[in-house]
Amino acid sequence: MEIPYTVKPRPDTGLYNAKLGIWLFLASEVMLFGALFSSYVLLRVGAVPGTWSMGLMDIMVGAGNTMVLIASSMFIVLAWAQLKQGNLAGYKKWKWATIACAVLFLVVKWSYEWPTKFKHYDIWLSSTVELHKKLEQGYHLVAEKHARESHQEGEDAGSHGGLAKHYVEEEIFTKRFFKEPSGDSHKAFDVAWEQGTLALSGHINSYEEAQINVRISGWKADAGVSEVDAEKTLARFGAGDPAKLRKQGGLLLEKTDYDTAKRVEYALGQAGFTLALGVAGYTEKTKEEEGAAWVWRTKRVAEDIGGQPRVRSIIVSLDHSHHQKIKVETKHIKRLSAFEPKHSTFFGIYYTITGLHAAHVFGGIIVMLYNMLPIGLSMWHKDRERFTNRIETFGLFWHFVDLVWIFLFPILYIL
Amino acid sequence: MGDSHDSPDFLQYLIRLFYMVGGVLVAGTLITVLIDVLFAFPLPVAALIGLLIALVKAGFVVAVFMHYKWDKKLIMITWTMVLTFIFFAGMMGLIMWAEGDHPQVRENILYRDELSAFWIVAAALFGLALPVSFTVLTIKQLSQPAPVEAAAPSAKRAAKKTKR
Repeated sequence: MEIPYTVKPRPDTGLYNAKLGIWLFLASEVMLFGALFSSYVLLRVGAVPGTWSMGLMDIMVGAGNTMVLIASSMFIVLAWAQLKQGNLAGYKKWKWATIACAVLFLVVKWSYEWPTKFKHYDIWLSSTVELHKKLEQGYHLVAEKHARESHQEGEDAGSHGGLAKHYVEEEIFTKRFFKEPSGDSHKAFDVAWEQGTLALSGHINSYEEAQINVRISGWKADAGVSEVDAEKTLARFGAGDPAKLRKQGGLLLEKTDYDTAKRVEYALGQAGFTLALGVAGYTEKTKEEEGAAWVWRTKRVAEDIGGQPRVRSIIVSLDHSHHQKIKVETKHIKRLSAFEPKHSTFFGIYYTITGLHAAHVFGGIIVMLYNMLPIGLSMWHKDRERFTNRIETFGLFWHFVDLVWIFLFPILYIL
Repeated sequence: MGDSHDSPDFLQYLIRLFYMVGGVLVAGTLITVLIDVLFAFPLPVAALIGLLIALVKAGFVVAVFMHYKWDKKLIMITWTMVLTFIFFAGMMGLIMWAEGDHPQVRENILYRDELSAFWIVAAALFGLALPVSFTVLTIKQLSQPAPVEAAAPSAKRAAKKTKR
């Protein structure tokens, strides 16, 4: 079937069909992004002062990415102009430049901007007293230095007891939630300080994990597993005499880790055994020892073994403290979250909008690559004008993606 | 692009224009960053400045990169975008109306802010404008005779240019 009006304009619309089509598509895109934009602005304006973490964005990275996208938007229109002049080599040159920019944009976003956020944690404590103690511990050294320096500049350094508090307000709280100090920022900080809603913010370096002793406490003969099979299962997991262990019970594994203990508990439970897990001690583990990145969750932190915490404490290097490390006992932790969507309203909508935009960039790259492959280019050899129009309509989409980012940049990075 | 703008000279002019607009966009981004780094405006002012610069940049992209400047005589594109805007403004009007109507806690006292009649009427009008405008446009489109190429004024010019 021949598609009508791919080159010459349709008489009643005055446009070739694909162009009207892409404009209608862009209209629907305006609705999609517009809704998210408006939600962002409504949530931003409605947020209680001191709860919107806008100071966490790296504006230089954002500005750099904006430039990259602007360049790609210019390159795609230059590629089209080359096609208009019948120059396929010129088209290819600009098209590769466009693709390179688009890929760079995604690389910066997906391998730098997002992952650094995912590795950064906020920890809220359940006790205000404990929070103040940790902040004092984490910041008193750097706060003293800060106070000495500002004292030299002729400012009032404040009383010694409030140094850390003063420093946290100036260097962390105000910059993150207000950017500049004001009456509002002072009031919001006082409330957060008194109510203990401030978070310890930083990277988790290591943690103290339980070493678990696994004991056999009994065996049920009516579980449907024969004695021989049960002993075979037992022999898979530990040293000692399986028959004796089954009959009398006793220590199966000593100082093993949580995952192994849970696996053994499950497997032996299937074979009719009842086990008792007990904490024998704690050992400090770094993330490197763990092998893979430890994903911290509030729930995971609260895991316990026979009433003892699985993780007794985590060692956090705080922001703006010259990587001063402090130990936070897990029993004091109320909530803990990386800068991921569930962290806050801000991050929720931040990832939604930038993710949707990145998906558009990704889709654009796929279409661009198609138009560079022989299968896409075959249209150029059959019908030059139609191919040129195809690139023009893709360009319209690509400019729209650029346009969205032009608006996203100020609202996400500056507002 | 309209058909009458295919001459090599015009293309060269366009290409120069593309580079210039690219420069304008980069400059706009730099200004946005500079304003943020150098000045500490309160939130509403910062939002206004940031969005105004974004609006200027968007204007250039639409006008030149998307060649709307030369396409705007083509009423279909204009109508598509204008109606989208009306539809969107209507939807947002309704949302704002609902959003502005819930009770708020300020300094531990529960307030119930009543929106002024003006905004309610404005939101309702926007909300009404969208179905009405779509209905009107659809009727207008349907009442036109089916396209006959020879009868259309632009068809002759289009046919001359095309080499299909």
